[in-house]
Amino acid sequence: MANSRSVEDLLRAEYFRLLPDARRALLETETRVRSALLDTSLALQPFERLVVTARIKECENAINSLRRRQPLGLFDSDQAAEYSLSALRDLAAVRVMAFPKRRVDETHGILQSILAGWTSDPIPAVEESGVPLAYKYFGKWNSDAPITAEVQIVGLLIGLFWEVEHSAIYKPNPSLQGVRTDVVIQSRDDVLTALQRFEAEFANAMMASPRREETILR
Amino acid sequence: MKAAKDPILRAAGYAYNFDRLAYYNRSAKKAFSVEWVEDHTDKELREELSKTNNSGEWLVYAEPQPSERVKREFLAEIGG
Repeated sequence: MANSRSVEDLLRAEYFRLLPDARRALLETETRVRSALLDTSLALQPFERLVVTARIKECENAINSLRRRQPLGLFDSDQAAEYSLSALRDLAAVRVMAFPKRRVDETHGILQSILAGWTSDPIPAVEESGVPLAYKYFGKWNSDAPITAEVQIVGLLIGLFWEVEHSAIYKPNPSLQGVRTDVVIQSRDDVLTALQRFEAEFANAMMASPRREETILR
Repeated sequence: MKAAKDPILRAAGYAYNFDRLAYYNRSAKKAFSVEWVEDHTDKELREELSKTNNSGEWLVYAEPQPSERVKREFLAEIGG
């Protein structure tokens, strides 16, 4: 008898089969990242921040993420067996948010050494010629692991903005239908550009006057 | 992320569907996936936009090409 379950139902079942492996991948990734950054964390100035967050993508978000990767953002129910959440690169993900920019660069340098075998996939700036909004890597600690993990390194201001913005704009929510207008998207891009400019200007000011860091913040 | 060629498509009368990641124009009966737009040059895009579609059927520019079932679902959604 043919399987009459929808693509989404099959993926929901797969999600819970994959969950233990996703948890293991997340635990290992977070532990390795925190360990590598221990010295930096202990050396932070009072105004500096280094925040590590870890999450497993929720079931419906994972399915929607896979859907967006299909042609025209739709699953083909005739090809239901072809889809797998293990194709996602960020089912298990760690985000490192740092401030100021020199801590982002330092963090990136440190993590590059432990992510040497992973694939780099930076998130580009809104303006094509700009520096990336964030550094991103995906890979596996063991080649036979079923789950690909992601590590993202981003400035704290942009990282915190994304935590609010992504859930409001990218994740389907019936009460928010219609808010993803061009004006909202353009405003989002303007905010990202402004935050990135602030981080760059703050870094420039620190370079010019390294003893006045606390004054700059007032 | 939307295509950097957004102004070209807007000027040609194309609307953007955020969920389907595609631009479409009902009168021209054409749709372009964002991936296709990003993978082609401005010149190639303008050439495809300037072609008249006399087939009576929708032309969907996407790589890989979506199945007929997916196309039907997409067109039903955008009122094509």
